[in-house]
Amino acid sequence: MDETLLWEIRAFVYRHFANTTQPPSAEETALHFALTHDEVVGAYEELQRRHALFLKPGMPDILMANPFSGLETPFKVHANNKTYFANCAWDSLGIPAALQVDAVIEASCAQTEDLIRLQISDRQIQSSNSLVHFLIPFKDWYDDLVFT
Amino acid sequence: MLFFQSEEALNEWLVSRNARQGAVLSISQLWELSQRWYQDRMSPDYHGRTIQEAQGIFRDLGLTSEFWQAYRLSQN
Repeated sequence: MDETLLWEIRAFVYRHFANTTQPPSAEETALHFALTHDEVVGAYEELQRRHALFLKPGMPDILMANPFSGLETPFKVHANNKTYFANCAWDSLGIPAALQVDAVIEASCAQTEDLIRLQISDRQIQSSNSLVHFLIPFKDWYDDLVFT
Repeated sequence: MLFFQSEEALNEWLVSRNARQGAVLSISQLWELSQRWYQDRMSPDYHGRTIQEAQGIFRDLGLTSEFWQAYRLSQN
């Protein structure tokens, strides 16, 4: 597939996430670009190979395009009058960073399950005593990105 | 990457899973990292970043411990 079209598909996926909180289906992407289903699946697989997005195992459905998650997760990001789902603690701040919007993040402490609520206004984050733990060192991130 | 409400909660979690501590960031550090990492993600011109670019972001934010080093990644 043409490189320009490939990256236009990636941009379309991100716009769709931003506008709807969900990834486009392969059918929606095919319709938008006047492509066949197989051409879109091929593009999705190529974008996955380049770590630009990740598919559900064995399916043509987008699981994640960081920082967005295609599934509901415990990392909720309220912004743009919508609720987005992030893949992890980092990505929950990544969504307002990517969209450059104010946001309220609702998640929980991994140990106590107490609510952790963070607020971002005017590109500043409200002070918090909470912490973020990265378990996997950078060199291993792409061994198993879903786990990381 | 997971949130913890305190260092004590993190330590309890590590013990309960017999896990070693990785890297711990404050919320303000994570916000700085998120802005650097994701600020251009919506751009149609974003085509990923090289490992050197990723390491440059970590270095700029003072994340220079072994945890943040890449020894074998070639492309992000």
